[in-house]
This record gives sequence, C-alpha cells and structure tokens, in this order.
Amino acid sequence: MTETYEELLKELKSIVQKIEDDETSLDESIALYERGALLVKRCEEMLETAEMKISQLGRD
Amino acid sequence: MAGRQGQLTFDQIAPREAPITLGVSDVSRLIETLLDDQRLQEIWVRGEITNYTHHSSGHRYFSLSEERFGKVSTIQCVIWRSDAARFGIDLANGMDVQIYGSVGLYPPQGRYQFYGKEVRRTGEGEKHLLVERWRRELDAEGLFAAARKRPLPRFPRTVGVVTSSTGAVLQDILNVISRRFPLTLIVSPTIVQGETAHLEITEAIRRVDTRADVIIVARGGGSFEDLFPFNHPDVVRAVAGSATPVVSAVGHEVDVTLCDLAADLRAPTPSAAAELVVPDRVELISELLTCRQHLIDQLFRRVQKASAEVNALSDRLHPARLGRLVNWRREDLASLSERLNRALSTGMVRRRSEVREQRAMVEAGNPLRLLSRGYCMVERENHPVTSAHQINKGDQVLLRLADGTGVAKIKEVTYDRNI
Repeated sequence: MTETYEELLKELKSIVQKIEDDETSLDESIALYERGALLVKRCEEMLETAEMKISQLGRD
Repeated sequence: MAGRQGQLTFDQIAPREAPITLGVSDVSRLIETLLDDQRLQEIWVRGEITNYTHHSSGHRYFSLSEERFGKVSTIQCVIWRSDAARFGIDLANGMDVQIYGSVGLYPPQGRYQFYGKEVRRTGEGEKHLLVERWRRELDAEGLFAAARKRPLPRFPRTVGVVTSSTGAVLQDILNVISRRFPLTLIVSPTIVQGETAHLEITEAIRRVDTRADVIIVARGGGSFEDLFPFNHPDVVRAVAGSATPVVSAVGHEVDVTLCDLAADLRAPTPSAAAELVVPDRVELISELLTCRQHLIDQLFRRVQKASAEVNALSDRLHPARLGRLVNWRREDLASLSERLNRALSTGMVRRRSEVREQRAMVEAGNPLRLLSRGYCMVERENHPVTSAHQINKGDQVLLRLADGTGVAKIKEVTYDRNI
C-alpha cells in the first residue's frame, strides 16, 4: 500500500471510462484493456503481499 | 385513600369527627412529595466516601459523610451501574468527592438516599475551569478551526501510533490494522496519565511526526483526571502543529478532550481510529474484481460492436450483390436497345408505305398511261365526260386515244341503274 497503489487505481478508473466510451477505437480499446488487466493484477499483488511491520521509537 | 388525603382540610379533622388513619404508603408518598424539593434535586454534594460497596450487579452503594464542628452527618448514596460506567473513577473509602444527583426516597426501607449521576474528585472543579479557560484561549488561536482540518491519506504507507506501549489500546489498534490492511506501524510510546504525561505525549507526537503518513493519538477510557493531560495546551499545540494528519481517540466517546478538538479527525474509540486510518483490504480486492469484470465486459461489448460493423460492411461488398447490380443494368440496356430498334423499324415501314402511296398517286394522275393500254377519254364540247348523264343520243363527242383523236356520234344512252 503506497501512493503508487492510489495512482494505479486512478489510472485503472480512467481506463475503464475510456473503454466505455464508444468514440474510442477498437485498437485503442484492446490496448487499454491489456493495460487495465495488468493494473488490476498489480493492485491485487500489492494488496495480497502487504504485511505488518512494527517498529518502536525509543524514548530519548 | 390517596384521593382523600389530597382533600384533607381542617374542617375534616374537626374534633367531632373520628381521627383519620393513614396507610404507610400514604405517609411514604407524602414524604416523597416533600423530598421532591428543588433544593434537594440536581445538586452537588461534597463529602467523604465510607462503607463503599461495589455490588456484583455493578451498582455502587456507599455513604457520604462529613464531620463539621465535631458532628458527623451521613447520607446513603447509590450510583447505578450505567452512570458509574460513564465517569470511570474508581471510588474508594476515604475519597473526598463531589457528587451530582438528587435526594429521593426508597420506600421499601423507609430510607432517603442520594442518587448520584456524576462524581468528581474534590479539586477537579478547579481543573474543569482550567480546561475551560484553555479551550477558550486555544480556540481564539484558531487551533480548533474546521478550516485547519486536513483529509487523511486514503492509502497511507506508514501509520504512527502515540499511546501507552502497554495495555489494550495499542493491541486493539494493531489488531484492527492487521485485519484490515497490514502495513508499517511506528509506535511512539508515552505514558498517558500523571503530572508529566503532557510533556511525554507532546514529545511522542513530535518524534513520530513526518515519519508516518498519519498519526493516531489514543488513550483508553478514564476519569476526567486521567484524561487531563490530553487537555494540556502543549499536547493541543503539538497535535495542531503536526505536519502529519492526526486522528485522536482519547477516552470514551462521551469524553471530549482538547486534543480531540485539535485533531484533524476525532474517532470515538482507538479501534475506530484504526479503522478510519487504513482501508479494508477485503473491500479493495472486491472493488478490483468488479473493476476487472467491468473491463472484460466493456472490451467484449466493443469487439461485438466492431464485428457487427464489419459484418454489415461485408454484406454490402458481397459479389452476388455486385452481380445483381450488373444484371439490373444489363436488363435496362436490353430494353432500351429494343425500344431503339422498334422505333427505327416502325419509322422505316411508315416511310416505305408513304413512298408507295405517293407513287401510286403519281401514277394514277397520268391518264396517258391508261390510254396506251386501250382505254380512251371521251370529251364533249372540250369537257371530259365522266357520266352517262352528260351525253344524249345524237351528241357528237371527241374520243381521245393514246396517239390521236377520233370523232364519234352517240347512238344510244343506257344507264346502269335507274335513278
């Protein structure tokens, strides 16, 4: 979970919007889909591999 | 009987009548009415706790005593479990307290009692006033202004936690975050109550500031006294001045500290603070799945649309369709050609017959041609004779032959038909 996740999600949403738009050409739609599927996969990986790391600051 | 008691007048207890006997409950009700006096309702009473009992039901029973001029006064006190849970002070014998509540009767035991709603340790009143003064001053500085509140990052990478390193609060926060979305936690430990707590809390906030994307300042429930450090201006300024957004969860939901007011977001409990700070991974994954399905659906739809377009175009390009077009043109051409031929031949026939007629007429108009075939013309007095009526017996006529003339005399005239 990083800022990158936020960015990936933002890009993913804009891709979905573009594919929904009938003005988008078929070629472009296919390219967008490929990119979108990749983004979904990467987001999932990010969520699945998240792990807890706890550190404690010393009192000085 | 209750009705009669209300109508009791001097006349009714005149010596002549028998004295009226009241039931115990009538008297009890009268006393209850007497106790329902403004001076005994919703008041603060100060005294020392004695005979304290924390009953298994959760209700608190004790006496509130005071010794003045060598005389001891005592009032029986009750605090119901629901009220006791709210103020969070552990009562004990010998404690000097101020209790807020009302005097009431307990009819089964014929006892009046003080029903407490709120407890403050004596000396707290001054602290309440102090907190109120701080609140006004810090508010005037604008530290509680809504405009100062910053949004929390939706996907923090690191969460700072300012709380006691021991105790349930930190554990609750760790549990919620590991369940919802495990990430990097930086614990900045501090004591959370006591005379110097505000210094440690302030320092703990400063230590973790800028090391995390969001900070949780948390403390479990406690008395006003316990939560007091979180009202201190040092802590309030550290929260307001933090470069990192702060979520505050101090005490129970009913306790609002100045630290809560200065934070960017206030959470009712430490667990709730943890929930506000990290998103739920399960929800995120389900959002992603929806998004992926949407992508697939949309692409499929787009491909179908393109394929329909291609089919429509391909139909229009089909050879049979082209052949039909050629045939149609061929037919058109043939019929046109036929019309042309017909028009031409009709013209020729017409012209030929015209020529024939002309020739016949020309030939018919030349009498000499007939004469050469043995016919002759008859003239009488230089006019051609065309009818038997133009001649009479004895007339002399001229016979014109092909190569000369002869004179003849009419012997007889016969008509072909009677007229």
